[in-house]
Amino acid sequence: MAEVSGVKRITDIGPHDYNDFLHPVIKKNYGKWKYHEILSPSHMVHVSEDGDKIYTVRVGSPRLVSSSFIKDLCDLADKYSGGYLRFTTRNNVEFLLDKEENIKPLLDDVGKLNLPAGGIGNVVANIVHTQGWVHCHTAASDASGVVKSLMDELYEYYVNAQLPTKVRIAFACCLNMCGAVHCSDIAVLGIHRRPPRLIPDRIVNLCEIPSTIASCPTNVIRPDTYNGKPSVKLIEEGCVFCGNCFTVCPGMPIADPLNDGVSIWVGGKVSNARSKPAFSKLAVPFLENDPPRWPKVVEAVKTILDAYKKGAHNGERVGEWIERIGWPKFFKVTGFEFTKYHIDDFRLGEATLNYSAQIRQ
Amino acid sequence: MSKKHKTPLLDELKKGKWPSFVNEIERAAEKSEMTDDLLGQVEQSYEEKVVHWKHGGMVGVKGYGSGIVGRFSDLPEKYPGIKEFHTVRINQPSGFFYTSDVLRSIVDIGEKHASSLFNFHGSTGDVQLLGAKTAELETIFQEYTKLGFDLGGSGSALRTPSCCVGKARCEFANYDAMHACNSITQAFQDEMHRPIFNYKFKFKFSACGNDCTASIARADLSVIGTWKDSIRIDQEAVKDYAKKFDLHKYVTDKCPTKCMSYNAEEGLKIDDSNCSKCMHCINTMPKALRPGTKGGATILIGSKAPMVSGPRLSMVLVPFYDIEEDAKNDYEWFKDLISKIWEFWDEYGVNRERIGELIQRVGIGNFIESIGLEPLPEMVASPRGNPFVLYEEYVEAGGEQG
Amino acid sequence: MTDETKVKLEEAIVNLIKEYANKKRFKPGDVVKEMESKFSASGVTKDDVKTAIRDLTDSGRLIYGYAGGSFLALPE
Ligand code: HEM
Ligand code: HEM
Ligand code: HEM
Ligand code: SF4
Ligand code: SF4
Ligand code: SF4
Ligand code: SF4
Repeated sequence: MAEVSGVKRITDIGPHDYNDFLHPVIKKNYGKWKYHEILSPSHMVHVSEDGDKIYTVRVGSPRLVSSSFIKDLCDLADKYSGGYLRFTTRNNVEFLLDKEENIKPLLDDVGKLNLPAGGIGNVVANIVHTQGWVHCHTAASDASGVVKSLMDELYEYYVNAQLPTKVRIAFACCLNMCGAVHCSDIAVLGIHRRPPRLIPDRIVNLCEIPSTIASCPTNVIRPDTYNGKPSVKLIEEGCVFCGNCFTVCPGMPIADPLNDGVSIWVGGKVSNARSKPAFSKLAVPFLENDPPRWPKVVEAVKTILDAYKKGAHNGERVGEWIERIGWPKFFKVTGFEFTKYHIDDFRLGEATLNYSAQIRQ
Repeated sequence: MSKKHKTPLLDELKKGKWPSFVNEIERAAEKSEMTDDLLGQVEQSYEEKVVHWKHGGMVGVKGYGSGIVGRFSDLPEKYPGIKEFHTVRINQPSGFFYTSDVLRSIVDIGEKHASSLFNFHGSTGDVQLLGAKTAELETIFQEYTKLGFDLGGSGSALRTPSCCVGKARCEFANYDAMHACNSITQAFQDEMHRPIFNYKFKFKFSACGNDCTASIARADLSVIGTWKDSIRIDQEAVKDYAKKFDLHKYVTDKCPTKCMSYNAEEGLKIDDSNCSKCMHCINTMPKALRPGTKGGATILIGSKAPMVSGPRLSMVLVPFYDIEEDAKNDYEWFKDLISKIWEFWDEYGVNRERIGELIQRVGIGNFIESIGLEPLPEMVASPRGNPFVLYEEYVEAGGEQG
Repeated sequence: MTDETKVKLEEAIVNLIKEYANKKRFKPGDVVKEMESKFSASGVTKDDVKTAIRDLTDSGRLIYGYAGGSFLALPE
């Protein structure tokens, strides 16, 4: 262990052992759970082989939270769940209770903090999202603001189960997609639409030229010289606006207020239930950024949800519904325009064409 | 309310029923003055529709090449509080379980030494403390290690592995995902903290095909629970479900392999040899059905986001891995497999090439041969349909090999 | 690996980074490959080089940088 100014440093201890944080009922029944029952969109019970029960109360969070928010949760946990709580991969908070009678007062207190309880069952799950303008340098759109605007509008779908089955929505503010939105029922993805601008002074001083050239998926960044130093030039026609070059080379900024915005993708899933995991497919190629509330994005997502709610059978995910009715009908019922951008012309894109005469005429 | 800045656009986002991140930033600013400038800069981004964070700089704690993500405002004179506003990634405990005591300690450190603003959790799994100044990083690091928490991965290194809740609170779990995740994370501390890879590498552990960690879409190595024997059926409970809904319409007809049948006299029958462990029937009737008792996992490899060669899902590498048996051996077999994969990646991969892209480039056949695995029909949806086969040998008239 | 070789190895690593400062960003993996071949006669292994890098970064003689990939650099 190295020392810094005389202090013995602790390193490489890894994550804290989870066993220190498990509720006693969970410890006792680890690996012995028999079944669960969803009692409402905000709570469920897991029952073990011994008949022990653990109640879970689920509460939504905005993911970007203050220390005070966490302390509010801790106070609730102390009061009702013996101090035990956990988070889900979709940024919900779960209180773990062994006393059924604590559920209602906990839900009341959650309500007093103006927090939503829900997210279990046939709901719109909490939207997973990325950093956006709040904390990232490559963002084509904000993340928290779009998500907040969407969840305000979809609130009833989170707290009440009224959909054919669960709908998972995700948001990523650029093609890096820190969060696997590409396999979501509905994905909102920030995109750029204008090639990067070259700032030669920065390129020659800050960038490693070979890796900058290699970063481009369409090979449109080519070697060049500037004041006798190695630099790059760009063939704008082939750029797909991915921003990868900017990631490697700060001399090629791509953000552009007039041309940045979001695209909307539908019908992906990660679970293996029934059909195989699938990528989301393009529904709306571009909507401009209109902060603070992105009304067009909210409207487009609502349009998809309404059509899905109306058309899908019980238990059908968005992708399964579209698969059953066919893509032409999806565009018809949503009113979205089908354009040449919807036809994949990137590598392996041919695999997405229709090589059959099977058409719902 | 921001003390220094007018934020009419952000104020709009305080309205509505969903909890507001703007309120959260304001509450953080009450604890940490520096965070007030974040409100100003984000408001400016909302006005101009453009981001104001920039590239550049080298930040970290001594000896580690990861765990800190440098972040600098491009308007430092205007927003001095967030001139340096780095992310500190802190390893989550497996399954994201906490006690209120430890959570308070975690956020206290953020209040005392940084922005008071957190992600619970980032998409990789870590707790993210957003907004630490360079000079505070070493102190923050030492405070967290004293509390028993270490930094996560970033850069060309292993990311903090993550897992589903598994056996702690899910009856569908086919293996102990939390134990596996924690053990593997502990085993590869060096690879997480001292970047030596071509690019990032992610493990995610889900204990059944529902894949609650979305591992198949966003882990270089996805470990997804499955089972070998028969689905456990409680026929009485099946009958109860049959009273509630049409079992044919919602269960048997939707079985992708059409391996189940139901009638009131004989009850539910499953041809388990043809069941693909998709979880649909179990999800629909959790009180009546449970996975078998011989649990294990399928190992898949190679999913990644679109950069650079397009997005990928993970593909099957090992159809059935007896992970519970290997667990008794401290996951030696698994660690050996990982070492072989990393050696191959080190040998043949190039800078910023994910393992999935490398496999695509060299061909899955060559890859599995190099790491000592056999080709298996479970790896493909179907055998190839095109006849351009790279046969590796031929014989000559004399019987010699070419 | 003898202590003497270790000292030489560490010097060679620091010199490599010095020589290429502002010209090439050396990934730790590149350094390992470079040193493995340079010191093959002295029986230096991959793990020896990794340990040397670890000691150099722990002591602060080298630091990690990040620009689309992690690399080794001299402290600013
Ligand atoms: C290629 C260039 C990439 C760049 C420049 C990049 C940049 C970033 C940045 C700036 C953050 C925000 C960190 C913060 O301030 O908190 C971030 C977070 C993250 N990135 Fe990336 N990223 C890249 C690629 C990827 C890819 C390919 C993935 C995975 C598909 C990924 C996954 C993540 C995850 C999981 C986070 C955690 C942040 C969160 O929870 O929102 N990144 N990345
Ligand atoms: C529609 C908008 C999309 C959004 C918002 C999005 C977002 C994301 C995010 C946030 C991640 C990070 C995963 C992690 O935490 O490691 C991710 C990963 C990924 N995305 Fe997307 N994505 C989108 C579309 C797509 C599309 C269209 C594809 C492919 C057709 C795709 C393929 C992938 C793949 C393969 C990964 C793997 C993750 C990894 O590299 O670790 N995504 N996506
Ligand atoms: C203050 C300076 C910088 C910050 C805050 C920053 C931040 C980030 C972050 C957070 C990521 C995602 C890391 C991850 O999850 O692995 C990232 C990725 C990346 N950055 Fe930067 N970066 C900075 C400087 C640079 C510079 C100077 C370059 C190139 C000259 C660069 C090139 C890249 C590349 C290529 C990636 C993708 C690599 C990856 O995903 O692992 N960055 N950056
Ligand atoms: S998705 Fe893109 S813009 Fe958003 S946090 Fe990730 S890298 Fe940054
Ligand atoms: S944005 Fe993407 S496609 Fe366009 S030049 Fe840069 S790397 Fe190439
Ligand atoms: S992945 Fe399966 S085992 Fe794990 S929590 Fe989800 S449903 Fe349960
Ligand atoms: S798990 Fe899936 S494949 Fe197996 S019987 Fe149930 S529905 Fe059919």
